[in-house]
Amino acid sequence: MIELLNLALDLTEGRQLVQEIQLRVPRGGNQLITGPSGSGKSRLLKVMAGTERPAHGTVRVGGHQLWPGDGVLALGGKVRLGFAFAAGGLLSNLTLRENMALPLRFQGMPPAEVRQRTEAALERLDLLAVAELRPHAVSASARKHGNLARVLALAPELILLDDPLEGLDAGDRSIALELVQTWAADPDCSLVIAAEEPHAFTHLKAERLQLSPAPVESP
Amino acid sequence: MVLLARLGAPVRGFLEFLGDQAHLVLRTLRDALLLRLDQLPVVGGQTKLQVRFTGLDAMWLVSGTALLLGAVTLIQAFSQLSGLGAENYIGTLMVLIILRELGPLLTAVLVIGRSATAIAAELGAMQLNGEVDALATHGVNPYQYLLLPRWLGVLVSVFALVVFFDAMALGGGFLVAKLKYGLTFGFYMDSVRKTLTNRDFAATLLKVALFSGVIAFHASHFGLRIRRSQTEIPQAVTKTVVSALVAVFSLDGLIAALLYF
Repeated sequence: MIELLNLALDLTEGRQLVQEIQLRVPRGGNQLITGPSGSGKSRLLKVMAGTERPAHGTVRVGGHQLWPGDGVLALGGKVRLGFAFAAGGLLSNLTLRENMALPLRFQGMPPAEVRQRTEAALERLDLLAVAELRPHAVSASARKHGNLARVLALAPELILLDDPLEGLDAGDRSIALELVQTWAADPDCSLVIAAEEPHAFTHLKAERLQLSPAPVESP
Repeated sequence: MVLLARLGAPVRGFLEFLGDQAHLVLRTLRDALLLRLDQLPVVGGQTKLQVRFTGLDAMWLVSGTALLLGAVTLIQAFSQLSGLGAENYIGTLMVLIILRELGPLLTAVLVIGRSATAIAAELGAMQLNGEVDALATHGVNPYQYLLLPRWLGVLVSVFALVVFFDAMALGGGFLVAKLKYGLTFGFYMDSVRKTLTNRDFAATLLKVALFSGVIAFHASHFGLRIRRSQTEIPQAVTKTVVSALVAVFSLDGLIAALLYF
């Protein structure tokens, strides 16, 4: 489903952050990317999603080449992709419910199905009470759950999760973890998780990739 | 070599800017043609929002400005020309000053001040918050969802505002002509109609199309270039205003030279 060849990421000042990554996640496969803060996990996920350009290397998703190329626009809706961002990512001028519904409406899904999928996702992530509020009016954990709910409503073939449990209290964490485990067990869905704390995912059946922090160059 | 590099940097920057503008326009046009029928309600909804903000909400501002401008133009013109049979040239004066030049130009300036700034700031904030990336990754093409509605919304709004501006300015002029000099509506409008040509309508339509493109794409360019911090947002807004004003005045001069010189 996703393939990275000779991939390298640079920091903005030009130093190399991640070098020569070879990675292949098959359909239904799971991949856990771990490493300390600043090691490039989030950047790597964005490169996989086609929203950030790598320094060099090739990225293919569902057989479509994202890099070198047009990035995520090369997919043109041919592969259903879901990305739960670590922070932000929800449209601030839409309510949580509208945020869930927008990608489905843009796919041309019938309104009844959009409603049914949106309600199910909001209910599963315990967001029904705040569904009519905009992201800035809800708690950080509700925004985090909102990101997961949008992915759930979309039922994607490839899911990218950036630190999905970070900053959640015990109750919210168990809801999110249960959902992640459901996705991990789904044979039609490939899952890539970037996490600073790998111990939360110790029971997850997944390939593991450990990133090291970028070396600090002496002046 | 250092001097050459210094001289070349702004030229290269300008060419890069032109290239990016061309890319934004062509990509938006191409993706507009790829829109499916079932996506039209989503894009249409965004366009309506843009028309409401850029067009409808600016009606009072444009009306007031145009009314005053029309009245002041006529007062000033008559104060200089009275006694020389100036009432016969009222229509010529209003068409030359208001309909040909100031109507489209001042409308564009007002829209740059109200809407281009808002578009640049909004897109910049969306870029920083990861909203543009989120749209793209979830299959919502940003050219279709963000750029096309803003372009269409600004186009429809600028057209409507220019028509409204011209009508209100003519109204303001008529009020002065009627109250101070006792001219009739028929005489006033007849004078305007005699001067107005098809070329004036064509020039106005051309200006509306070009000015709205400049406003939408300059704002989008500077807004979407924001990458790192919130402090870039006011900088992007300032650059949008300066760059769009320069482009609008240059195009206005070019059109005047091509059509009336």
